Amino acid sequence: MSKVLEIKDLKAKIGDKDILKGLNLDLEEGKVHAIMGPNGAGKSTLSKAIVGHYDVNVTDGEIIYKGKNIVEEEPEERALDGIFLSFQNPVEIPGVNNAYFLRTAVNARRKHLGLPELNAAEFLRTMKAEVAELGMKPELINRSLNEGFSGGEKKRNEILQMVMLEPEVIILDEIDSGLDIDALRAVSEGINKMKDGKRSFLVITHYSRILDYIKPDYIHVLKNGQIVHTGGSELVEQLEKEGYSSFEEK
Amino acid sequence: MKLDILNAFDSSSLLKEFNANSSKSIASSALAKLKVPNKKTEKYRYFDIEPLVSKDWKICETKEQSPEASGKKIVIENGALLNSGDIDGVTVELAEFSDIDAEHFDGLYFLSHLMAAKAIVIRCSKDCSLDIEHIYTSNECLINYRVVILVDANTHCQISDSFKGEAKDSFILSGYDIFVSRDASLKFIKTHTLNSANYTPIFTSRYKVDSNANLKLSSFDFAFDNGLNIFRVDLKDSANIDASHLLYATDSAKYGIVSEIVHEGKSSTSSQIAKSILDKKARGIFDALIRVQNSAKWTKAHQNSKSVLLNSGAYMASKPQLEIYIDDLEASHGSTTGQLDNKQLFYLQSRGIAKDDARKMLILAFAHEIIATVDDEYLANKIYAQFEQAYYGTYELDCMKTCVGCEESILGNE
Repeated sequence: MSKVLEIKDLKAKIGDKDILKGLNLDLEEGKVHAIMGPNGAGKSTLSKAIVGHYDVNVTDGEIIYKGKNIVEEEPEERALDGIFLSFQNPVEIPGVNNAYFLRTAVNARRKHLGLPELNAAEFLRTMKAEVAELGMKPELINRSLNEGFSGGEKKRNEILQMVMLEPEVIILDEIDSGLDIDALRAVSEGINKMKDGKRSFLVITHYSRILDYIKPDYIHVLKNGQIVHTGGSELVEQLEKEGYSSFEEK
Repeated sequence: MKLDILNAFDSSSLLKEFNANSSKSIASSALAKLKVPNKKTEKYRYFDIEPLVSKDWKICETKEQSPEASGKKIVIENGALLNSGDIDGVTVELAEFSDIDAEHFDGLYFLSHLMAAKAIVIRCSKDCSLDIEHIYTSNECLINYRVVILVDANTHCQISDSFKGEAKDSFILSGYDIFVSRDASLKFIKTHTLNSANYTPIFTSRYKVDSNANLKLSSFDFAFDNGLNIFRVDLKDSANIDASHLLYATDSAKYGIVSEIVHEGKSSTSSQIAKSILDKKARGIFDALIRVQNSAKWTKAHQNSKSVLLNSGAYMASKPQLEIYIDDLEASHGSTTGQLDNKQLFYLQSRGIAKDDARKMLILAFAHEIIATVDDEYLANKIYAQFEQAYYGTYELDCMKTCVGCEESILGNE
């Protein structure tokens, strides 16, 4: 299996605090990788480092994507190249129309890929179909981006963006947090629909609940800024029984 | 004429100087007391008034002529009425005007009235929608004129006020006296793009909102040079004003609003929201007072100013103030000045939108709240276009940016 993303000895700080301490992780093409770990282990920092968040200062190591180290790349360059992060707490942006924002993003990606841009009608037709499939309220299309959305609506909107942008590496940061069972099922269906044997997923979670819906190929245990153990889906049961304490830090 | 020399004049000398009759004695007395402003005048503290009042101005003479009377637009060129329009229920005439706001805080308001022998008086006696266009073409002179708008009782009007022309190095001293009569309403929407090295405008106005009347005042100023909007509002019993101001200022422009909203009548309500976007070395001014007098029981008064600084050289002088003389009311005020929100910027970038485009999107979003207060869709889109033209230098027509429910019209056009 070919590696789509390689993280080599990654060290990163937030402020003065060392969070990632020589993290190594390979994402395989077409596979679902789950990252599990206790609070403060560095799970969200890892996702932020991959997408180039301004909070995270990468001090050493490499993130190799499509054969190049992307550590110095701007967030939009990484996104255009196909990396997508579904945020744990998507920000509200009053005044930015949801549909206009997403069309701008979709057309920026299509332009980057050498595809023709979608006109307003083509875009809206596709968007409306996806909105219906995700069980979103149609009026959310015309609202300001995430403004006044419930927690579940925000997460569905993240999945809508993911579906429309057709990324190649999908990072889902605590996608299950704040979702009721119906919303979790709808969001998971949206994610599973994206599995095509090519796309890779990095599912970051505290709890195993989401993994009942999105079956992982690999589970990585992240503790104190490092991957301390990698295994198959059988690890979920072990983690449920024994917690994270049974996995020693390197 | 140098305006600052008038500070040595008493009331009667001022009347003589401007050949004004005794009906203007309120103006001359008030000017003799308030004086022509200088850099020490509190209300002009953040604005460069000295070069305007110390310069020896040639006064632009407004010649009385027979204006055209066609179309839905009233056109005023260099202070002279060029076209009085042909609008059902609207009369326009040149007339002496003496119902001056004796309580106004601005010396230039009174000076402007003293200098203007006649005012352009627009009376709306039926529900109507009209445009007023001001054109400035005379270079290196002081253009002074007054416009009066009377909205009769039980009448509902919308006025769109716009500006055109490039009068180099001129000083525009003008303003409105607007009377919204009992049970009437007026939506007054002013849009002004002031290019660099143009004229300097000081608009000094008063609005009197009678019992149960409603004034919706929206101003959109896109400034590359200096200018000031000064106004005072009187609210009678159960009168209401919703004032929204959007300012985009750049280069070295010093631009803004100095205002006083006075609650005189009981159960009167006011809301004033200002949003300012400041780039390069621009200075924004929001010096706004809401006064609730002891006669104004059960009033509601809310005021807020939000500013975004796009450059370390930009500066916002924000001074929202409440002056309250009763206990029984609901009031609030606030002011925030900051930069674009990093979280929002990053979110857009993380979806592949280039940083510059993301910034533009956020700036437009910031302005959206004020532009969206204009419920006339055609006018709102024109204002978006004017704002984008001022901010980006270009405008791309795309109704999805702003429209609510435009999907039907897009898909319906297939």
